Amino acid sequence: MSCLLAKGIRYAVSLLVVVALTFTLPRAMPGDPVMNLIGDDVSVSQATLNAIRAEIGLDRPVTEQFASYLWSLLHLDLGYSYHLNAPVADLLFARIGWTLLFTGIAILGGAAIGILAGTLAGWRPETKKSHTMTLVALAVSCTPPYFLALLFLSMFAFRLGLFPFKGLYDEATLGSIAHHLFLPVLVLTLFAAARNTLIMRGSVVQEKESLYALYARAKGLSDRAVLFGHVLKNASLPIITQIALDFGFIFSGALFVEIVFSLNGMGTLIYDAVLGRDYPLLQGAFLLIAVMVICMNMAADIVYHLVDPRIRRQGN
Amino acid sequence: MTGLNRWGIGLLVVFVIVAIVPQAIAPYGPKERSMPYQLPSAEHLLGTDDIGTDILTELVYSARISLLVGFAAAALATAIGLSIGLAAGYCRGAADEVLMGATDVVLIIPKIPLIIVLAAFLRPGVGLMILVLGLLGWESIARVVRAKTLQVRETGFVMSARCMGFSPFRIMGSEILPNIMHVVAPKFMLATAAAMISEASLSFLGLGDPTMKSWGMMISFAFSEGGFIRDMWWWYLPPGICITLCVVAIAAIGFSFEGDGAEVRIE
Repeated sequence: MSCLLAKGIRYAVSLLVVVALTFTLPRAMPGDPVMNLIGDDVSVSQATLNAIRAEIGLDRPVTEQFASYLWSLLHLDLGYSYHLNAPVADLLFARIGWTLLFTGIAILGGAAIGILAGTLAGWRPETKKSHTMTLVALAVSCTPPYFLALLFLSMFAFRLGLFPFKGLYDEATLGSIAHHLFLPVLVLTLFAAARNTLIMRGSVVQEKESLYALYARAKGLSDRAVLFGHVLKNASLPIITQIALDFGFIFSGALFVEIVFSLNGMGTLIYDAVLGRDYPLLQGAFLLIAVMVICMNMAADIVYHLVDPRIRRQGN
Repeated sequence: MTGLNRWGIGLLVVFVIVAIVPQAIAPYGPKERSMPYQLPSAEHLLGTDDIGTDILTELVYSARISLLVGFAAAALATAIGLSIGLAAGYCRGAADEVLMGATDVVLIIPKIPLIIVLAAFLRPGVGLMILVLGLLGWESIARVVRAKTLQVRETGFVMSARCMGFSPFRIMGSEILPNIMHVVAPKFMLATAAAMISEASLSFLGLGDPTMKSWGMMISFAFSEGGFIRDMWWWYLPPGICITLCVVAIAAIGFSFEGDGAEVRIE
């Protein structure tokens, strides 16, 4: 239990650091904090500006400002985007569904493919097939996700005309959505799978040398039974933490893939916010992503705790 | 994977030479202009871009920024990771708890979104990019260094150094450090690979320094200035291929240092 408690403290501190960062950044960065809080190049009247200044209360003590900032966060108030004239929370929650949808598919698909490919590559690492698989996984994981997306878009959508090259759907039917989302999801899945393949391969290479694998062989089990019945279970443990840590990474990748495929998810929202210097939106997005990543990691810790009896007993 | 390793070193040497002496390789000067949007031809092997710069010349000159950001950010990350890992592993106890707790906190904060926010606030620039990528990329190095330091600090030669009354700094610096360099070297290469990918991603969003082009920035311009819509693959493919080849080369060298079967991961 004490181990879980220590983890909990770390997550709480992470959360605090993230919140403190979003609180401090607009106030500490060069320029007028009010402009930093509402974003550059917005046209607001002097009266609105004064109203905002009074509302934020930059003249009050910092602790008081922080307390009121926390209070508004607790009410899911992430600020107001003066570029798009809407509360940041509404903008983000309206868009996040799509991004989460294909991040989710990519993470699950990537884990499945990665575990399988990595297991096969790690079981007989000296074979030609295993070498090729490792090299492909290495190359994909070394490519920036948006470039992979550009490649696929230019090849399958422009050149071969197999897929539409922008948007989420023409009409809101499942078929149309699937047709539009196939390429972006494929790119992201490949990317996630490549990372998992490399980790799984390393893990299997280590696990298959252990004594229980030798024992399983000695009692006459076939290669397949040793690999899938014994080695696979232990070797896939690192993948659980990896999936959680990767969530932030794949989610960031999803943002870029969306930009390339012009999908109306969080990525395009953030891209426009960067171009227009819409600071409240950028900060809100960062805060939301960070909170999701922290939750994912907590979930992974709990799952890890449940599936690995060694950790469970160590804790007691 | 010695074959891959040899290829990796060969490729990296080529890229480094290109980055050091671009003027010897590029067919034109970086500021020479001609007709925009030209197709590949004998004069312009990869055509020209929207303002008439020879794309091959641009590609050659961009190597410098991409490699500089990658290696400099990794050097900074390694320096921080080494100090924190050494201190945590050598001092143990409360210092270890605090330092590793901090490491976990840094590990969990999503990097790319944070860097996007930071870079949007500050004026984009190469120095800033190096600083931010370096400051956010040290946690995996700190972890391996700590684990290795915990082993090495129990060995005989460290014990005798302590008995002779050497200061902790001296012991960490000249007794322990040389014995953990072999785990730091691969991590340094992997940090370089990761920093190069991050740089390419941020430049794609337009958060780099537009006066100092990198490969990522070239793709960004090709994407936003019509190279993609006009299907000018000779504009946006070469910089992407260069990034991938260079990162694969660096990562392959890192993995071969690390040895087969060791933990393999790029963050």
